Amino acid sequence: MPPLPAAEEKSMSIVANYLNRDSVIHRLHPLTKLFWSLWVMGLSFLFSDLWSLAALFFSVVAIAAMARMLREMVPVFKGLFFFALFFWAFQVLLIAEGRPLLTLIPGNPGLRITDRGVFIATAMGFRLMVIASSFPVLLATTQMKDLVVVLVEKLKIPYSYAFMFITSLRFIPTFMNEMEQIIQAQCSRAHRLDSRNFVTRFFSICPLAIPLLITSVKKAERMAISMETRGFGIGKRTYLHRYDFNRVDWLVSFGLVLTVIGAVMINLTGMWN
Amino acid sequence: MIKVEQLTFAYPNGMPVLENLSFEIKSGEFVALIGQNGAGKTTLLKQFNGLLKPTGGTVRIDGIDTRNSTTGILAQKVGFLFQNPDHQIFLPTVAQEIGFGPANLGCSREEIDRRVREAAAQVGLEPYLNENPLFLSKGQRQRVAFASLLSMRPQVMVLDEPTTGQDYREGIEIMEMVKALHRQGHTVIFVTHDMELVARYAERVIVLSQGRILMDDTCRRVFYQPDVLRRTNLFPPQIPTLVQKFDCYQEDFGTPLSVEELYATITGCGGEEYVHCS
Repeated sequence: MPPLPAAEEKSMSIVANYLNRDSVIHRLHPLTKLFWSLWVMGLSFLFSDLWSLAALFFSVVAIAAMARMLREMVPVFKGLFFFALFFWAFQVLLIAEGRPLLTLIPGNPGLRITDRGVFIATAMGFRLMVIASSFPVLLATTQMKDLVVVLVEKLKIPYSYAFMFITSLRFIPTFMNEMEQIIQAQCSRAHRLDSRNFVTRFFSICPLAIPLLITSVKKAERMAISMETRGFGIGKRTYLHRYDFNRVDWLVSFGLVLTVIGAVMINLTGMWN
Repeated sequence: MIKVEQLTFAYPNGMPVLENLSFEIKSGEFVALIGQNGAGKTTLLKQFNGLLKPTGGTVRIDGIDTRNSTTGILAQKVGFLFQNPDHQIFLPTVAQEIGFGPANLGCSREEIDRRVREAAAQVGLEPYLNENPLFLSKGQRQRVAFASLLSMRPQVMVLDEPTTGQDYREGIEIMEMVKALHRQGHTVIFVTHDMELVARYAERVIVLSQGRILMDDTCRRVFYQPDVLRRTNLFPPQIPTLVQKFDCYQEDFGTPLSVEELYATITGCGGEEYVHCS
């Protein structure tokens, strides 16, 4: 097989790419893993202190390690880290309470960094990483088609919606690849993307965005036609595979529910503070 | 014009796509690059205008090492026509689309206008200058893309499957334009899977197989070595194939590439006479 173009390869390692491994996590029922990722997100909102959020984040890392794909997930975590860092830099300046550690402009009380600010901003950074990291782990350990089948069969979501969801994810690498082609085509016409001026930089996106939009619409149309020719939307459909919820799944789900109840209790009673 | 020395290229975390290629393309040559899918043809083409940079060895365009230059600067020397014109069309009129390149180069309004007219004339798009390119046919959109590279006045034309998705006539028309430009002194390098096109237009053929050069010779010699070609899933055009089938008849047909040439060998009536005879 010829090697993938650079963009496709990169994008596939970041988004919605199933990694075929034999691990405990991979063998879990898709629904269990979906519960888990919702659980991670839910907990990240229930807790707002630094240590719990940090622990939650490292639990996601641990799950990725259990799924034997830590190496592949490192770029995801790294990307999220830089995003969180950016977010942190903003956040830390907005929080004025607490003991000032550093004043950016001497004499100006507005721009200062406080101990509480650092604490809260770091917690927020972890929350962001937690929220954004559980889904890539879910998608890397669960095949999209399995996820859709469970969503439709067990959660009774209409197939067309489930299909829309899976298709939008499936198209991300395709569009990244398309974007790469468009960038190359416009660069070949001496188009510059690295302008210093913010306004020209913004407008320099047009030559990329418009062809992408047009080719995407065309692609969607072609896909709709090919789906219809294969009988999409005729009526009730059946599926090739069946998925059973086994004992481990019940156990994990039970554990997840218990921890959520515990977390809610802690929050309501204010035991944590 | 183009000097490639020990060029090696690999995509990030990938196997090498091009391995240790060395060749030179002189100014004014008409070169076809052929090989099966995945042989590295497009990857090699993209080295010529700096869209991809060598991971080993060098590619020099008119003496400039592509690693020390940008695609924007090289675009004035090397024009690149992509397979799919829809990857670049975004402006509301054909004229603006053709003028996008010169505008990027910082040409004056008058200069852009002059170049747009000149390029449109070269590809026969004058009647469509004020039309929306999106509503043109695929062949015409490919011409818009072609004109938009001509307007940057490059010396070298690099064409990646310029006739794909077009009917026979549209394909031939594009290639005839390329041939006319070649006559004016342009260097042309093109990739195609259509061996008849290669036989009809190319002077020199480079056969790529798994990132290496399998053959680099005149069109005639390449197509009369079918064994080497077959190793890379390529088949010579019909006339060379037919002539080689006649080998057993001990008759010397020479090495014709086209119907015209074969007809001339058999009847001794060639060139313009052929047109008359047929």
